[in-house]
Amino acid sequence: MNLQIRSKSRDPLRSRSEIILRNTVVASLILFFLAFYFIPIGIAFWGSFHLWNPLKGQFRYTGLKNWHNVLNNQLFWYSLKNTGLFSVIAVLARIVIGLLLASALFSRLVKAKSFFRTLYYLPTITPMVAVAFVWKNMYDPQFGLLNQLLGTKINWLFDGRYAMLAILLLTIWKDFGYAVVILLGGMYSLPMDCFEAAEIDGADACQRFFGITLPLLRPTVLFIVITSFISYFQTYIPVMVLTQGGPGTKTQLATYLIFDQAFSKYNFGYASAMSFILFLLIALLTALSFRASGRKEQ
Amino acid sequence: MSKEQWKSIGLNAVLLVFSAVTILPFLWMLASSFKTNAEISALAQRFLPRNPTWQNYENALNKMSFLRYFVNSLSYALVISLITIYTSAIAGFVLCKYRFRGRELVFGMILSTMMVPGVVTIIPRYSMMQALGWLNQFQALIVPSLFTSFGIFMMRQSCAAVPDEVLEAARIDGANEFYIFHRIVFPMLRNAVASMAIFQFLWAWEDYLWPYLMIRSESKQLLSIALNMFSGRFSTDYAGLFAATSIAIIPVVLCYLVFQKRFIEGIASSAVKG
Repeated sequence: MNLQIRSKSRDPLRSRSEIILRNTVVASLILFFLAFYFIPIGIAFWGSFHLWNPLKGQFRYTGLKNWHNVLNNQLFWYSLKNTGLFSVIAVLARIVIGLLLASALFSRLVKAKSFFRTLYYLPTITPMVAVAFVWKNMYDPQFGLLNQLLGTKINWLFDGRYAMLAILLLTIWKDFGYAVVILLGGMYSLPMDCFEAAEIDGADACQRFFGITLPLLRPTVLFIVITSFISYFQTYIPVMVLTQGGPGTKTQLATYLIFDQAFSKYNFGYASAMSFILFLLIALLTALSFRASGRKEQ
Repeated sequence: MSKEQWKSIGLNAVLLVFSAVTILPFLWMLASSFKTNAEISALAQRFLPRNPTWQNYENALNKMSFLRYFVNSLSYALVISLITIYTSAIAGFVLCKYRFRGRELVFGMILSTMMVPGVVTIIPRYSMMQALGWLNQFQALIVPSLFTSFGIFMMRQSCAAVPDEVLEAARIDGANEFYIFHRIVFPMLRNAVASMAIFQFLWAWEDYLWPYLMIRSESKQLLSIALNMFSGRFSTDYAGLFAATSIAIIPVVLCYLVFQKRFIEGIASSAVKG
């Protein structure tokens, strides 16, 4: 090894095998993430200005036409409103049920902690298509389990008043266990002496929860809120299995509408414009959640 | 009874109610999969089957050829898990243990892709696969999943726990970097490998949209897609479909019950660190 090279490199002991390994890995990483993330985002944006139909081999520049059509599409706005409402309720339910059950499990009055935790997490690990299918049958007006249990005669999936609720119930059922596990993990990582001091000072369980647990858990709660919003904004499979957007357009969620435009009607350009708006909304929401949490901490 | 005891009863009651809600759909599915179609749609309903029968499972596996879809899904999930564990580990190692210009940039680029919703990239990816002539081919499922940002992030965290002195000692002994990664570092990552194996396997097992778009011929189909396909085709064979659904769910549940401690640890640690 000559001196000149040695003085150039910051780490004189860097071996040939390190350079080969490093370059191979970094080059593959850059290539992969460019090819499957950054270039596709660029193509989606560029394609949104085109009449783009892969079946007919069309890719013709149409300027702002797709964007204009999307922004004037009542159904798209309606689906966005549905998506927003759906996500807010699903996230709130996830957090509230998660906090309730995690604090119950955190209490020393409960013995079979790991039993409950294992059970609650079960729906999260099972495949969505399969459980959505089970729930579709549970909602069946003739033999479904839900009406039998509740003593009701609701036609869950074909009654516009209940179809969205049906999708929400499935989503909440599948996901609350994840929140329980994460929040419980967060609670165990909190400093124990805070709780002991509060208990000695005579704070009751409610005061301890709102005064200590909740403020300290804010980062964990924020983590769940953001990741849940990102995933709920893209809810697709429950809609596909349970209602296909119906009855009428009652359960049209944005992602379902986009995939329908893209892969049933092959309007790739139009669908790309819609997907970009959804992308921007998700990015905006994420940024807002981070800012909101930052402000409260000061 | 003391106040403490009442509180304990109340808390346990709430927890039990949610347990029942969690488990009932699974039990109902399982019970129904042993019923006959006549019994499922009968007016007088009962939870447990009157005369339990294996017939539905036989139908699902043979008539609906779910055995083939099961094997397809299993191989897909195994291949994806093995590949991503290896690529994530080696990428995590390089991004953690080597210092070079642009390292943080590359890592930041990888992390930023976690925020990109799949709905934006899926349309161009579809066109890319079409242009490459990969539609209906196995590589269309594998190549876009060669790396995962989540896995790289997780493995980088675990590599940070490997002391630099261990690497230095091996280097002084004359080991090259390939040996160091494969024989020294990789075995030390076994906890991360185990949690990643579980998550990747589950994600691949439940993957729907991408395989649905890529795979057209029935013989190559995966379990989730077959399930949705057959729910249209055999829409009146409730019992058979309940059996098919159980086939998609039960292996995952068994695997979960065996490795449940790892699952919970994995999910909790990924969130607290993230």
